[in-house]
Amino acid sequence: MSFNLKIVSIIFSLFIIVLILALLKKNKINIKYSIVWIILFLLLQILIIIPGVLSFITRCLGFQTGSNMVISIIIALLIVINIVLTMIVSNQDKKIRLLIQEISILKNKMDDDRNE
Amino acid sequence: MKVLLIIPSFNEEDNVLDNYNKIMNYNKKYKSNFDVIVIDDGSSDKTKEICEENDIPHISLVHNLGIGGAVQTGYKYALINDFDIAIQFDGDGQHDINYANKLIEPIINENADMVIGSRFIDKTSSKFKSSKARRFGINIISIFMKIVTGKKIYDTTSGFRAVNKKLIQYFAINYPVEYPEPVSTVEVLKKKMCVKEVPVSMNERENGISSIKTWKKVYYMINVVLSILTVGIGGKK
Repeated sequence: MSFNLKIVSIIFSLFIIVLILALLKKNKINIKYSIVWIILFLLLQILIIIPGVLSFITRCLGFQTGSNMVISIIIALLIVINIVLTMIVSNQDKKIRLLIQEISILKNKMDDDRNE
Repeated sequence: MKVLLIIPSFNEEDNVLDNYNKIMNYNKKYKSNFDVIVIDDGSSDKTKEICEENDIPHISLVHNLGIGGAVQTGYKYALINDFDIAIQFDGDGQHDINYANKLIEPIINENADMVIGSRFIDKTSSKFKSSKARRFGINIISIFMKIVTGKKIYDTTSGFRAVNKKLIQYFAINYPVEYPEPVSTVEVLKKKMCVKEVPVSMNERENGISSIKTWKKVYYMINVVLSILTVGIGGKK
């Protein structure tokens, strides 16, 4: 990985970490969902900053260059995170449906009681 | 026997009163005592107002849920009010109330847990058999259902169906909200319950549009087949 690319990656990861922390502080993101992002980008920092680690893992996994490996790993993780998010959305869908149904039935019952 | 007609309605201001009157006339004529609950699925037209003005029993969902969520609300209502049989009856004038007695007969005689009003079981029964493309789709769904459950269901997407108390309890909690007709049938068959089809005649939709749009048909088919396979193959949830 070239020196320039390393600098850019470090700045970008730092930016993401700061962004997540800022969102946490403003209460716009749940801690349990933010942790995964912070850990991911902290790991990336470590990988890039400590010399030798990146090239060692690159050789072990059989990638041509360090940047290739970083991109591949990030894509893989993004896919996993997206699937988890889809799961969360589906689950919320279910909860919202239940709420709409129960509230509507309750409203109907209230109207009936009022008319009697 | 307390019988409830669940009528999911989404933007059916033209049909809802007409439909209700037909059912009331039927009740008078045959001295039956079918209760009605219209589930207004968050309609943006006057469906709700018409129900209120004419004292039609209705539940207005506070937000649109789609046909599956609306029908499930009906099952919840049936469970709360202790109904013995629930009939799903479309709000768009497609279904004919005159077949309701035929539909619940196997359930009263305890020959079936679920009865589907079928357009295709008897060649002469229905003038309206829907388009060729749609029948082709229905047949494909039927083949996949036969593969996973071993039972041949002819009219897989018919929304005119009756269920007994056991299934009211089940559907109130576990009604499939996506592609409810075929998927719920597979679930019922997988529970080793008995599903029967009786021939009915259906009308072409009087007003309003089908919930399945033309360009979505292929996408719909892939989704339905996938859901049938995932529900049908593998053990219990």
